[in-house]
Amino acid sequence: MELVVTGNTVRDLRVDRGLSQAQLAEAMQVSRQTINSIEVGRYTPSLGLAIALARYFGTSVEEMFHVQER
Amino acid sequence: MSKSARARLVHWSTPTVSLVFGVVYLVAAWASGRPWLGVAMLAVMLAFGGGVLLAARRSETVRGLLDRRDERIVGIDLRAAAASGLAIILAVIGGAVVELARGHSGAPYTWLAAIGGVVYLAAVVVQRARS
Repeated sequence: MELVVTGNTVRDLRVDRGLSQAQLAEAMQVSRQTINSIEVGRYTPSLGLAIALARYFGTSVEEMFHVQER
Repeated sequence: MSKSARARLVHWSTPTVSLVFGVVYLVAAWASGRPWLGVAMLAVMLAFGGGVLLAARRSETVRGLLDRRDERIVGIDLRAAAASGLAIILAVIGGAVVELARGHSGAPYTWLAAIGGVVYLAAVVVQRARS
């Protein structure tokens, strides 16, 4: 079974908390560009970073990243 | 060692390696009786190391390439290194073919290709065992 990431709620969660991309990047110890790439779906983070994001926003990886079976 | 201390150390590795190679070039050129060539090569390496450090102040990408904390930029670096390696392999194979066609042994290109092949196989074996 191959799963493809079709979207995510990172931008919504970040904006809801009033955070800038730079602030979230600082918290995740990645660059602002990486946060932007994740938000627009250009980059799928590693499992470690996905879990770190989910924990930061108090949600789960599956709720944050939408997948579809190919 | 803390994560930020490690990142600081890694951040300085490229400029430090530039400095070390610059000094090695200087010593090698000096030993062959061409001190000014050595000085020029050291200056080029120092300019490169300094340029990278300055660029890191302005560019997130360069900063990420230096401190290697950002997984996306580390991935970009790996793919860029693979593309660079592929270009070198093609150049080496081309050089070997030209040398063989000229009636020579193909050296040093054949040796470089052999080193590349052996290192690739060793890397596959090591990575397979580690992952």
